[in-house]
Amino acid sequence: DATRGTSSDCQPCPCPAGATCASVPKSGQVVCTNCPAGTTGKRCELCDDGFFGDPLGEGGPVRACRACKCSDNIDPNAVGNCDRETGECLKCIYNTAGFFCDRCKDGFYGNPLAANPADKCKACACSPLGTVGAQKSCSAVTGQCPCLPNVIERDCSACQPGFFNLRSRNGCERCNCDAIGSAN
Amino acid sequence: PRPDVHPLPPGTHLLYAQSGRIEHVPLEGYDMKKDDAKAVLHLPEKVVIGVAYDCVDKMIYWTEITSPSISKASIQGGEPVTVIRSDLQSPEGIAIDHLGRTMFWTDSVTDRIEVASLDGSQRRVIVDSGLVNPRAIIADPPNGYYWADWNRDAPKIETSYMDGSNRRVLVKDDLGLPNGLTYDSQRSLLCWADAGTHKVECTNPGRGDRRQIMEGIQYPFGVTSFGKNIYYTDWRRDAVVAVDRYTGRESDEFQPQKRSKLYGITTAYAQCPSGQNYCAVN
Repeated sequence: DATRGTSSDCQPCPCPAGATCASVPKSGQVVCTNCPAGTTGKRCELCDDGFFGDPLGEGGPVRACRACKCSDNIDPNAVGNCDRETGECLKCIYNTAGFFCDRCKDGFYGNPLAANPADKCKACACSPLGTVGAQKSCSAVTGQCPCLPNVIERDCSACQPGFFNLRSRNGCERCNCDAIGSAN
Repeated sequence: PRPDVHPLPPGTHLLYAQSGRIEHVPLEGYDMKKDDAKAVLHLPEKVVIGVAYDCVDKMIYWTEITSPSISKASIQGGEPVTVIRSDLQSPEGIAIDHLGRTMFWTDSVTDRIEVASLDGSQRRVIVDSGLVNPRAIIADPPNGYYWADWNRDAPKIETSYMDGSNRRVLVKDDLGLPNGLTYDSQRSLLCWADAGTHKVECTNPGRGDRRQIMEGIQYPFGVTSFGKNIYYTDWRRDAVVAVDRYTGRESDEFQPQKRSKLYGITTAYAQCPSGQNYCAVN
């Protein structure tokens, strides 16, 4: 307030160099209006959308704003791809998940870091007949579904040799064939 | 005046979102009065995506993704009021039906289109299937509304009646990333700006014809129309670009002093577009 005639009438903006500011009359709150490139917020303390960091070091050491790090598993046409402070990825694609979109989401397996999207995360597609509890998730790396006793294959879709009755949903039973009358 | 709400003088304006604020540029005829551009609203902690204008109550509505919500404020000054704050994840496009007094919005994470009264009451889901990356949405009351889905595998522009019934695909071929949509009710012309094909194209939804307005544009996000001009925000140029629809040429550019992405853009008309209202129809 320059009209009161005291030495503290005009104070410097509490903003990084080059930024302008204004004060809200009702609350007296001061807002920076022209933050340096890549930053925003009341005090230029936040990163722009699509970037993360702590440009003023409010929560520890200064971390300059940088682009979301999401293992190439976000779409640049999306908005809000990561948390502006922590960098946590919020919009993983190609069936990936995790802080950095660096693992397959539940029910998928493969290599989330593969270059080709088709090689990234594939559906577990566990057989409901041969899988423990008919669950949908599998080993994130190998894709092996948890099989019931004597059930084999990645997706638990077959009985091991000498066993039958996958449809029992309790695992496969021994064939019990007579050794004399059977071909094998 | 309080610095976070600059009342707008009478006339038609462009309103657009740029990180943490909603800015305006007055229009004089079709020309942007760049020297008079300024922030209408400072929302320093927010990332504003979609902007819409209610020409009846002269209110700005916007979507915001950091604490996902839909809010409004008078362009004549006043506190922002949040009207929707629950069950939102990434609200993006927003459109106002100024006759029906409702708002429509897209959410790219819940993959829904919802509608509610302008105060946030009477909310309901009107589309919840077949959406992957819904973004732009625009109303043409009382006939229906239009939206675009930039799904990279199958981008499309769709329409339905105001209640969500009679849904149909209008455009699905030769689309890339149709980020922005605008509708000129006087000429029944639906236009879109595409960041994949780098084109602005238009169609008359009734006739189904299609024509290209401009090609070789960079990275459009939002688009709005006023008279002969189309104005779009561009993510590469950090600018509002004006295109003359008849010549297919860029006629002007406005690059705000602050360099960062510009998001949604809308036209704040001095008066509501003339046309039918529900009472006249019924």
